[in-house]
Amino acid sequence: MSSNQLSLGYWLQASRFRLQACSLKLEACDQNFRLNKCFYFIFTILSLFNTISFARTIKIGAKESIRTIKQGIRIAKSGDTLLIKSGIYREGNIVIEKSITIIGENYPVMDGENKYEIFTIHANGITIKGMKFINTGIASMTDLAAVKVLDSKNVHILNNIFRNTFFGIHFSNSSQSWIENNDLESSVEAEHQIANGIHMWKCEHITINNNRIKGHRDGIYFEFVTSSLITNNYSEGNLRYGLHFMFSHNDEYRNNTFINNGAGVAVMYTKNVKMIGNTFKHNWGSSAYGLLLKDIRDSEVRDNIYDENTVGIHLEGVSRTNFDNNQFMKNGYAVRLQASCDDNTFTKNNFTGNTFDIATNGNTVLNTINGNYWDKYEGYDLNKDGIGDVPFHPVSMYAMIVERVPPAVLLWRSFLVFLMDRAEKAVPAATPENLKDMSPYMKPNGLHSARK
Amino acid sequence: MRTGILFLISFFLWSCSVEPTPLLYGKDACHACKMTLMDKKFGAEVVTSKGKVYKFDDMNCMINFLNSGTVQEENIAYRLVIDFANPEKFIDAKDAHYVKSDKIRSPMASEIAAFSKKEDLDASNKEWKGILLSWGELVAEFK
Repeated sequence: MSSNQLSLGYWLQASRFRLQACSLKLEACDQNFRLNKCFYFIFTILSLFNTISFARTIKIGAKESIRTIKQGIRIAKSGDTLLIKSGIYREGNIVIEKSITIIGENYPVMDGENKYEIFTIHANGITIKGMKFINTGIASMTDLAAVKVLDSKNVHILNNIFRNTFFGIHFSNSSQSWIENNDLESSVEAEHQIANGIHMWKCEHITINNNRIKGHRDGIYFEFVTSSLITNNYSEGNLRYGLHFMFSHNDEYRNNTFINNGAGVAVMYTKNVKMIGNTFKHNWGSSAYGLLLKDIRDSEVRDNIYDENTVGIHLEGVSRTNFDNNQFMKNGYAVRLQASCDDNTFTKNNFTGNTFDIATNGNTVLNTINGNYWDKYEGYDLNKDGIGDVPFHPVSMYAMIVERVPPAVLLWRSFLVFLMDRAEKAVPAATPENLKDMSPYMKPNGLHSARK
Repeated sequence: MRTGILFLISFFLWSCSVEPTPLLYGKDACHACKMTLMDKKFGAEVVTSKGKVYKFDDMNCMINFLNSGTVQEENIAYRLVIDFANPEKFIDAKDAHYVKSDKIRSPMASEIAAFSKKEDLDASNKEWKGILLSWGELVAEFK
């Protein structure tokens, strides 16, 4: 109420000035009468204004006068808040086409009964906060979601819990929205029963921050999404990719963790993406990657950690991209650089404990690899400048053979292969001569301070 | 002894046969875009006359591969696409009916669905209002 009074005072003051102007113009009139009339006029306007601008809070719950959310939405006006008391709500599909805020108290449960999409949002300025969504319907032809947003702006999806939803959060044709602090988890075995956790299609200016996604098809899915930010998310145990990124330019993903996903993270057909400070961990399998980059250009990949992946980074058709300060640890292949890549630079990366540091399928070298740390480097540093005296060849001969005949990996670590690798080091024949690090570091590069 | 030899011969014959193999959704990766196949309404396969199988997740991946000339036209034994109306079922690419509409969300955004029966296509296309295409037109469009 105090704010109400304050604004009233302000308006009264303002009206006094207006009254002065008013009275000057109408000198002929009886001033006193005029003043009174003016005052009443402004007062009625003011009171009218009050009823519009001061939004109501509508309480919904089993013990309240309004029992269902649908009824609450029907009587709500734009700007109102719906406070949902804890309980279980089974109301089928709820369509929201007003700018309202929905806040749950102690996570009220929205049950889709394995049949329905739960919230369908089609208005600007909607906030959904503190709700729990369970058991949406499953369909192969339509995208049923716990929260679906269509053609909207300024939507906030905050602090919600999603359990066993087909799509968790599904946005299309929307912009300027925030998805923060949500927890999504599904537990089905077959991939046709599950869709993406956070799904974005044709959106721009979206922030996805601090969510946890587990057990979906793709954790986060981006298709035609531009100028967006993905930060501090934790994507684990999804059936396909932890993050899936297609035709989405000028985006940035930072400080996310992708663990144990079916095939890792895929970023494809995109330009100008920043991938900074992420952790790619334990993505094992025949077609699994820590990070799969395909047809990417003018991008930046730095301060990331690749730990225990079949392939740390697989690059195909990548150009003009910088790879700085990344840690490659205990991967099968740290970097798989296909011959279709050009103008990329690798500097200040650390390669430790990988089976193959770099593998390639061609002899032409169009990329720069310089100033990295390689644990397989055996040279000396006689002038003690911290840089090895002879260049390092990161492509082992056996990596070339395995690239051509994949089953040959069976013989890896046999004595014969050891001999062949030694011979190759003395007289290079199969490995690309020019693919070398001219100034290999003697000690690992410290993680850059940019990683926070 | 004789059955053993017969068995061996039949084994070799069997292993050399040129047959399409089903797409394993959730396991197989697309030859062109490297994505794991997931959506059972979309998919395609090319089998060469030597029996090598290339799998694809979307029409544009398959057609770009065919147009790239990696495999010669005369060395292709099968060109197969998934019937949108019967997920996971292969049909001959040349006999299929195609429709393109921006309402079709295919894995690689080709926006093309394939159907074995014209009735199925018409039923789905009521909502999509897409344009109908034949195989020849499709291949030409991606050239």
